[in-house]
Amino acid sequence: MTSINSKLGFRKKSLWVYHFNSGGCNGCDIEFVASLTPRFDLERYGVQLVPSPRHADVLVVTGPVTKNSEGALKTIYDQIPEPKIVVAFGTCACSGGVFNNCYNILGGADKVVPVDIKVPGCPPKPEALVELLKKLTLGD
Amino acid sequence: MSGKIQSKMFVEPGTILDILKKEVDNGFSHLVTVTAVDLKESIELIYHLSDLKGNIKHVSTRIPRDKPEIATVTTLTPGADFYEREITDLFGISFYGKQTTTGRFILPECYPPGSPPPLLKNVDSNQVKDTLGKQETCEFKATTLHAPLSPESVVVPVGPYHPAFKEPEYFSLVIDGERIVKAFLRIGFVHRGIEKAAETRSYLRDIFLLERVCGICSASHSWCFVEAVEKLLGVEPPSRATYLRTIVAELERIHSHSLWLGLVGYWIGFESMFMWVWGIREEIMNLMEEISGNRVHKSFVTIGGVRRDVSDSLLRKIQEITKEFGKQFENLLDTLVSSEEVIERTKGIGKYDIEVARKFCTVGPVRRAAGELFDVRKLEPYGAYTEVDFEVPTEEEGDVYSLIKIRVKEVLESINIIHQLIEKMPSGNPVPSRYFMGTVPEGEAYGRIEAPRGELFYYVKANNTHNPYRVKIRTPTLANIQLVANILEGYSISDFPVIVTSIDPCFSCMDRVTVINSSTGEKTVLPVKLLKEKRRR
Repeated sequence: MTSINSKLGFRKKSLWVYHFNSGGCNGCDIEFVASLTPRFDLERYGVQLVPSPRHADVLVVTGPVTKNSEGALKTIYDQIPEPKIVVAFGTCACSGGVFNNCYNILGGADKVVPVDIKVPGCPPKPEALVELLKKLTLGD
Repeated sequence: MSGKIQSKMFVEPGTILDILKKEVDNGFSHLVTVTAVDLKESIELIYHLSDLKGNIKHVSTRIPRDKPEIATVTTLTPGADFYEREITDLFGISFYGKQTTTGRFILPECYPPGSPPPLLKNVDSNQVKDTLGKQETCEFKATTLHAPLSPESVVVPVGPYHPAFKEPEYFSLVIDGERIVKAFLRIGFVHRGIEKAAETRSYLRDIFLLERVCGICSASHSWCFVEAVEKLLGVEPPSRATYLRTIVAELERIHSHSLWLGLVGYWIGFESMFMWVWGIREEIMNLMEEISGNRVHKSFVTIGGVRRDVSDSLLRKIQEITKEFGKQFENLLDTLVSSEEVIERTKGIGKYDIEVARKFCTVGPVRRAAGELFDVRKLEPYGAYTEVDFEVPTEEEGDVYSLIKIRVKEVLESINIIHQLIEKMPSGNPVPSRYFMGTVPEGEAYGRIEAPRGELFYYVKANNTHNPYRVKIRTPTLANIQLVANILEGYSISDFPVIVTSIDPCFSCMDRVTVINSSTGEKTVLPVKLLKEKRRR
């Protein structure tokens, strides 16, 4: 975590997050959205969901990467300004998970973009994301 | 109810259109789906037809492998379009008589044109994966118009990754000023190839795979599959298990509908509605976690019962919490739904009538909002729905506002169902002594249940081995999405996200095997013309 924290360098600030569904089942996505709602309230750590990758510091990828979404994932990764952190949220984004041998699946997000943090779980609980982003924002 | 397919009506491929016409005239007007099965020497097509009283008929025809073509039935049922196009891509069958279909529909654009279709039995999943992996680029074809509709028209691309969507999808909107003149869809960014994967896993492992078709209605998917498999095995689950399954399914409906209500609030710019509804929804998520151990993928249903029992104290807790939830939900939604902001943005928006809803084979709340009581829980009762007394709300208007009203009422009705079930809960052990690991005798069965989004349909063919021979999934969104592209015409671009969200689309469900590629010019996909007079305002 320390090395990832230092990746942000002096630009350490409230993290802005962009969410990318690369072909998931929606399970991780609803848990991701749930973490923004009152019960978990990610915004109290200054985390904000942004609609454009160009404004983001953190890219959260959910779901296994399908052939169709591969190009878009690359493009979106390139659009995020440096320094950037990529979080693979959920087992599928980590490794392809249960879909790993499906014919249209390339595997986890790390097949396409460099992943900094992997959060396994099917799906991980919103608390996992809250804890992670809190650590990133506040340090260990 | 689901059942074993005891009798199929075998017909010659050439006569399919006449036979279906006769059946439709006999009342079997709802085409549930078209299933293709590779029998090695030929390809079987099964048309599952249902009437509005809960009867179902299976019309089967066999097409030679070397000459895979058959007449389209879209002239009879426009809703068959997407079912047929799915088959074209996955089985290589061409449907003649259609103005549409060239190019990829379901698979990525870079799927090599000469390669055999992926769902044929002689095609290996890993080979397809290798071939696809080698392709450098895989640009999807943006829909292009052959001739612009008028000099003022502008084509606005929306997606595939757009802040207005939670899931990837691509819309191409032809805009004249603020008005949408035409809308084209290209979906399939979530296509994973689950049906093929299901053939290579055992029945038990398939339950876990299939519930991951969709993270929102995951218990419905596993239940529907298990229903079909149980029918093949001749296994009757203990009655406590059917009660518990029904409770979990209804909790899922509550969570899914509240999620949707929140999203609608979000898309009309009413963020408080989103936050409040999602806030109280957490109570239901907690219950799910306590029942099954997971908030989302519950893995609760298994062949011959459920995976764990629910204690009496937990049942009482479910009763208490859902009661309180119902109270707060009703309060909240009464206030929200009657607010000017919601009414202005949803009343009279995205209107369709029952004829159109029938034409596109729509299911679930979308069908009921136009006034037809079409609910599998009533038509073909399964689980413990015969034991309870409940109502299925319908509305007449067929607009976004009536969809909201229907879903609010359904949530309250689900709470009512849960309470009745808990009162009547039979005793006994709902957990099978060991998980099912055996073979399933040869045969075919279907599962049909009412998922939160509408009728969900599974077809399972077994061949005396540990793995199913074929699993076909027809999700509610695939049936409903055809309507959307049509309703959009004539509305303002600011209504676009609301109308798309109104059917509660779940693209991960739909894309598991399907891409919808509606381009014009060379292909006019949806029979838009018949709707035009109605749409123009």
